[in-house]
Amino acid sequence: MDADLLELDTGGASKDGSQSQGVYIYRPADKIKSSGERPTKRRKVARTDLPKAANSRPFVSLLNGDEDAKSIELRYRIYHKFWAAQEAKIKGILDDVDSEVLTNVLSFVRSTSPQTYDGCIPAALVTVGSNVSSLGRLLSRLNGQLTATGEGGVIALESGDAPNLKTTLKNIIRFGITNTEGNEGYQSFVTDREGPRVLGYDLDLLADYVKRKEVKKLVLAFRDSEAFDPGILADLLSLLSSWLDRIPLTLIFGISTSVELFEGRLPRSTVALLRGRYFEIHEASNCVDRIYGRIQAEQDGKFWLGRNITSVLFEKSSDSFQTPEAFSRTVKYAYMSHFFANPLSVLLADDDAATTIQRDKVCEALRNLPSFRRYCEDTMEEGCAEQVRKLLEDDAFLLEQSAQWVKSGQQKMRDMFKCVDMVQRALKKFNIVKKTSISDLAIRALAGELQTSASYEDILRAIKTLDSDQMPLFAMMLPDTLTASSDFAQIQADFGALLQVYQGTEPLKSGYDKQHSVVATTVVQQRVKLSKAKVKLPKENAEFTKIIDRFHALLEACLEETLIRPNDLVLHEIFLLDMRNPLKEVFSPRPRFAVERALSSPFDYLISSPESSTVKVSAHQPAAAILYQLYLESGSLVNVHDLWQAFYAVFESEQGNGCDERTAMALFYRALSDLKALGMMKSSRKKVDHVSKTAWMGL
Amino acid sequence: MKRKQPDTDETPPVSTPKRPRTTDAPTNGAVNGHAAREKTPEGTPAKKTKSTPKKPTADTPATLKASGLKTPTHKNKAKALFSTPTKQTTAPDTPSKARNADRSAKKKSARLLLEQDDDEIWDGADRLAEEILQDDDETALQEPTPATSATNGDGVIRSVEAGSEEPAAGDAAAPTPKRRAGRPKGAKNKRSPTPEGELPAHERYFFQNRAGPPRTSNSNLSKVNLLTHEEYFEKMAQWVDPFQEEKALLLDLHCRSFPQWDFEFDQGFNICLYGYGSKRRLLQEFADWQYRRHSPDNEDDDTATISPPSVVIVNGHTPGVSIRSIFATIVTAVLGADIPSKMGSQPQEVLELLQSSLNARDSDSPPITVLINSIDAPSLRRATNQALLARLAATPQINLLATADTPNVLLMWDLNLRDQFNFVFHDCTTFAPFDAEFDVVEEVSALLGRKGQRVGGKEGVEFVLKSLPENARNLYQLLLTELLSLSDEGHLSDDEGEEGAGGARGEDAAAAGIEFRALYQKAAEEFIASSEMMFRTLLKEFHDHQMITSRMDASGMEILGVPLAREEMEGVLEDLVLA
Repeated sequence: MDADLLELDTGGASKDGSQSQGVYIYRPADKIKSSGERPTKRRKVARTDLPKAANSRPFVSLLNGDEDAKSIELRYRIYHKFWAAQEAKIKGILDDVDSEVLTNVLSFVRSTSPQTYDGCIPAALVTVGSNVSSLGRLLSRLNGQLTATGEGGVIALESGDAPNLKTTLKNIIRFGITNTEGNEGYQSFVTDREGPRVLGYDLDLLADYVKRKEVKKLVLAFRDSEAFDPGILADLLSLLSSWLDRIPLTLIFGISTSVELFEGRLPRSTVALLRGRYFEIHEASNCVDRIYGRIQAEQDGKFWLGRNITSVLFEKSSDSFQTPEAFSRTVKYAYMSHFFANPLSVLLADDDAATTIQRDKVCEALRNLPSFRRYCEDTMEEGCAEQVRKLLEDDAFLLEQSAQWVKSGQQKMRDMFKCVDMVQRALKKFNIVKKTSISDLAIRALAGELQTSASYEDILRAIKTLDSDQMPLFAMMLPDTLTASSDFAQIQADFGALLQVYQGTEPLKSGYDKQHSVVATTVVQQRVKLSKAKVKLPKENAEFTKIIDRFHALLEACLEETLIRPNDLVLHEIFLLDMRNPLKEVFSPRPRFAVERALSSPFDYLISSPESSTVKVSAHQPAAAILYQLYLESGSLVNVHDLWQAFYAVFESEQGNGCDERTAMALFYRALSDLKALGMMKSSRKKVDHVSKTAWMGL
Repeated sequence: MKRKQPDTDETPPVSTPKRPRTTDAPTNGAVNGHAAREKTPEGTPAKKTKSTPKKPTADTPATLKASGLKTPTHKNKAKALFSTPTKQTTAPDTPSKARNADRSAKKKSARLLLEQDDDEIWDGADRLAEEILQDDDETALQEPTPATSATNGDGVIRSVEAGSEEPAAGDAAAPTPKRRAGRPKGAKNKRSPTPEGELPAHERYFFQNRAGPPRTSNSNLSKVNLLTHEEYFEKMAQWVDPFQEEKALLLDLHCRSFPQWDFEFDQGFNICLYGYGSKRRLLQEFADWQYRRHSPDNEDDDTATISPPSVVIVNGHTPGVSIRSIFATIVTAVLGADIPSKMGSQPQEVLELLQSSLNARDSDSPPITVLINSIDAPSLRRATNQALLARLAATPQINLLATADTPNVLLMWDLNLRDQFNFVFHDCTTFAPFDAEFDVVEEVSALLGRKGQRVGGKEGVEFVLKSLPENARNLYQLLLTELLSLSDEGHLSDDEGEEGAGGARGEDAAAAGIEFRALYQKAAEEFIASSEMMFRTLLKEFHDHQMITSRMDASGMEILGVPLAREEMEGVLEDLVLA
């Protein structure tokens, strides 16, 4: 490897031809070499369909490369199956979220025309807030609908498309025509015209297109209206309004701030040209919550995201605006990383596929799982040494067991999420907490902390005050595991019997209800003393209170049982992904920190091989790191001469007289140019040969 | 303060692993420092003090100990790097001179203690002064380096914080053989930029940005022979990177994630690599790898019908690169031979052509991989360019891998662009030099504001002068003479004739310059230029060759100067006169 690299390094000069080129299509330099050596390599490999498979699946062999092709294939297939299911759910939600606005906008577009608006341009003002991606979705669906029916199309403009009026018009015309005709169609449309040749920004083109295609509605959408130059927008709108008799335009403005602010930026004369309606798209966070709920709490779930990932996900969408798409991509990445890197994920396969796995390798991996080890230790303590021995020695038994564990673990997870769902719905139903999101509850539940949370207490307290009308409603929310139990059936039966007997119009109230306690006020020694006392309950109510008590106890026991700590489940590593890290690093990178770290402690990165660490290495850090640390010590104005002296001193002291000043200076130059390129210093006019410091570490 | 050093003499020269790997390494560095300094009892570098607090030996004289207590102990925490000693000073100062300087320092110190000018002097200076007085009884052997304290024109002492890292180190260590004895340049005006103790980052920022005049030394690079391109490349070619192995290992480590990146591409993500170091090699390797992985293995295989993946590489730092050319190249990669003759001049049009031709392809044809080196390069950095690149990235059949070098790269993209780019980020610190990206010498001269000198300094100027008419040569000679005499006067007046004022004379002269009118007057007197018109024509020639500088001073007068150091000016003048 090293020799290879060195060779390439020296050969770098010859490659400079391509290095200095700005853009080029890459052709491997060593094509002849590689194709020359490849056939010999391949002959060793059995002529299976490996190459083909290799092209189709991007997964690599895990377990030290011992994993066979079938298992890899299996993992890849499971990933696809799982994610496809989730993706469909997400798509459903996204479609559903905007559908209302879409129908509204669509009907607006269809129903309005300049005629209905006294010659004003019909305009839909859509406020999107932080949910910027939703407008794009909306527009593309609108476009789909309009083009499908042949009514017209949508021209979506971004502020970047409108640097000046000419280009804007040109873009509008081009987008409008290419939308249905394609690029070639546009070219031919422009060139194959009768009569005098028109320029690309002549609205005659568009009018001609409208006439030829019998377009009824042409929607012009300004995606980020605030970013458009108001002057250009005003000119454009006045121009468009004069063409309104030939081009049936409807405008859509995507607004991130508010309609008032948007209006305020436009001149009055322009505003007078528009008339329209206002639409609102919901905030992204709502949507994100729904997606999370669908993905995690759905009853066909087989794989879950753990507490850490959930908090990373929601941290990100609360700290910074995040579109639902970005959110679902993050979730996707979590799925990807699990199946890409966890060889045991094959155990999530359906039973028939699971027979193809490599038993010995999988078992070895299973035995190394922390949760398995913990289980074995616990079992040992309980004195079931036999069981443990069997698990450790008998592969078949272990596989059988682990299949069961995975199944029961998945069931437990499902139950838990059902409870979470129930708690959330109950909280919402009884208005106990103002705002509860499934994510908050899920994070608590996944950490095994839901029992200790305030919402949990609230729920149980609320149950005690249920009246006989609310009770069946509540019972409907309960998870099946609870309703299926005989105790619950008993309670139900008793409750039904009680209701039949009860004749009153008022719903029955339990003894815990506020109505049933009276506050007695007595004045003792000029002090008001409040004392609470229970009023005597009517008989039915007393009965009802008993039922409520039983119900409460049952529910509490049930919750106690289902709200487990997922990380305590045996083999949870297989069906629960709970690692903060690839996700956080990958989606919230800290490039500045990385650069600072590389320069301030370069040996975090430059790990020398073990041999060289024992041998005394001629010591210093990379030049840029030395300079950076010197630079950190300096003030906001840096004297380059002094910097150079300090830099040279470092070299001199370490290398003694063998140090070549000019070489050191060359290194100094290189380091200096690096720091400049990193934006850490710029030249200063304050003093000769000084540069100013522009980056402070850790800020 | 400096004189406590002898107490460490008995420290045996410890050989320690030199490369500091951990944070506790500073000890090692300090010890190393001692080892290196053993032989030089005088002219000790300022930084030595750093090690003293660590090793107070029992037999230290009481006085020394007392002063030793005053050394800023927090300096221990400094990185080993900075405690590395600067130089085995070969003691250029004769004892008598040193003693003179010391005496002067004492005088000043006494005055300082009386005056206590808080505005001007960092409080550490008081301590230093105190110590200098305390050290009265010390022998000449332990004279402080001249760097310790010094006077400047107005007689106020400014002190170097003895233990100050970095620039101070530079000054103290500065007595390079070349430098004349006398007041060291860095000594005056010096305040340590390093505050007491370890400050949190924001405090450090405010400390270093506090109001006041710049607190850096006046030394400059006029004496230092700067590198030319040729020398730079020659030196770099000879230089052997001590970290070759480690860097190779690092690169190898990144190369191992190629399958992962491929999977990410496959799943519709684009990739952004960040971290310090050039990532060109890495991208090159990745392109190779892609080729190997996705190209048909053999001709006789059934998979041979699959064409190799198209990889387009963009070098962001190449000056001529434009968004349109990037798109056009990708179109070429997609369509091969049948490119339309007219692609359109706007990048948007080319992009649209690209998108439509991608849509027209078979759905199972391999995606186009676009590798962009330095997506944050200045030419690509503009918002419109990034928006266009984001659109490219959002195109379904395009896989985009971009590398970013600058730390603040994320600021380029807003929510919308981030969404379109759909990046996953990977830390790919390579430590590889940016040789292909930057013209190092050029960058540094731009940084130092010496771009003009690149023309070739003295030689370049002389070369140009040779090809100019007599009149022009005479004018340049006149200009140089005036400038030199001006700077001589200036120095005589404010230096009180003190010997060895090795300050920034050349630069001063260049900075001072001569007023346009005055020069014209002189030129007219010397019959060099008969009219202002002619005078200007001559000057323009100089301007074109960057041989003179011109600026407006506060009163709106045009000041002419020469971008040469004093020595160079003298040299040019000499040659002109002799010629």
